[in-house]
Amino acid sequence: MANPTPLTTVKPGEQRTDTWSELLGRVGEAQDQHAFKQLFDHFAPLIKGFCLNNTNQSFGNDAAEEIVQEVMLKVWQKAPSYDPSKAAASTWIYTVMRNARIDMMRRNKRHQIDNSPIEVDDLWDEDSTTGPVVQFQRLRDEEVVQASFKILPNEQRQALTEVYMKGKSHSEVASETGLPLGTVKSRVRMGLQKLQAHIAGTAHAKVQA
Amino acid sequence: MNHTASGRSSSGRPTLSNTSSSPAIINHHPDANMLVEYASGSLPWGLSIAVSAHLQLCQHCQQQHAKLSALGGSCLNDAPKEAVNDDAFSRLLSNIDKASTPAEDKVIEHCQQTAAQTLVNAKRAGINAEHLPRVVKKLLPPQLRWQKISNALKSARLITGQGKHEVAFHKISKGGKVVEHDHRGLEVTLVLEGSFSDEEGIYCPGDFLVREPGQVHRPTASQNQDCLCLSVCEAPVKVTGLLGTLLNPFLSIQPA
Ligand SMILES: [Zn+2]
Repeated sequence: MANPTPLTTVKPGEQRTDTWSELLGRVGEAQDQHAFKQLFDHFAPLIKGFCLNNTNQSFGNDAAEEIVQEVMLKVWQKAPSYDPSKAAASTWIYTVMRNARIDMMRRNKRHQIDNSPIEVDDLWDEDSTTGPVVQFQRLRDEEVVQASFKILPNEQRQALTEVYMKGKSHSEVASETGLPLGTVKSRVRMGLQKLQAHIAGTAHAKVQA
Repeated sequence: MNHTASGRSSSGRPTLSNTSSSPAIINHHPDANMLVEYASGSLPWGLSIAVSAHLQLCQHCQQQHAKLSALGGSCLNDAPKEAVNDDAFSRLLSNIDKASTPAEDKVIEHCQQTAAQTLVNAKRAGINAEHLPRVVKKLLPPQLRWQKISNALKSARLITGQGKHEVAFHKISKGGKVVEHDHRGLEVTLVLEGSFSDEEGIYCPGDFLVREPGQVHRPTASQNQDCLCLSVCEAPVKVTGLLGTLLNPFLSIQPA
């Protein structure tokens, strides 16, 4: 299950998300080094753990440290474009990390990317144009998604975790676990459907409340 | 649409209370599995181009993707913590110092250059760049080389920095019919301009189609406008008409 980070000042759950988002906002607005240090102390071990947990490619300790450096450097550099009303800090940092991992994997096969007119940030671009309504919904969704994820049946949560944690395609998950591709796909889909239903239910409840 | 009941609604299931106002009607979307692979970074580069381009046109999928990214954030929150090296933060600070040349100015300048360049490139290629997704604009080379495949169909390959998928523009001239073909691999088509139809329906800008290997189809462009698509194929498309390529010129002038 979730392992709520034992922090002294911050409660787990939504509260926690808000605190990190606020800190990240301060880094972006004022290059606040103190806030950045707090973010680092929290997220650096998570990023490293996330990468070491990635059995897809054998990330050694050094590679994981490098990714931490790269992700947190990008976090510092890109923080001015972070909009707390659009995404929680953990989600935003996740996308920075995802892009850094893709970039690192691509740089390992350099001969292919030398002449590429597009880069990782062109393909996984978080600044999509969306109206204010959608932005508001994003934040609310995020809170609900994170809560809902934890109540999924084991099998489905695991399938989703494999895909996210290990950065694996469905067929890679299938060949590693020995499950048929169709089973992997349907577990992922069912997990998402449950999340969807839970989110819709929560949204409905909020509207009625 | 591709295979069976994917968790993703193809027609705007009420995911959230009040999101019925979408600017363009897009009926065909990447399925849930493909979006998950995209959001988690495991979808191959070539296919990711098509998904990314679709997202820039489709608010519905943008919202799905935002949720899937939040799920990634949730996984990050739940990752097992691993202590970093003692000097990690001081190393980071010196990395920041080293990198602190005003990168932003460079980026902006670079973007403006490419924006101006894009218009020139697109015009030269006979493409209206205005409505193209950003990522597609970036893929436009200075000299797009159209290759005639039949009277009705031409294509231009794009350089994308990978070799697994063939990424190309396809243009079907108005009213043109494309020779029957099937695929050895998965084929994704994103409609960019105009529209086309096949045995199963009609497809408009933003529509995202997945053809499984072995599926045979014969697209026909609408009468009023050329149809421009971005296509991403696992393997080169082969012609399967009885007389093969010889058949193309004749097929293309047959009435739809
Ligand atoms: Zn869509």
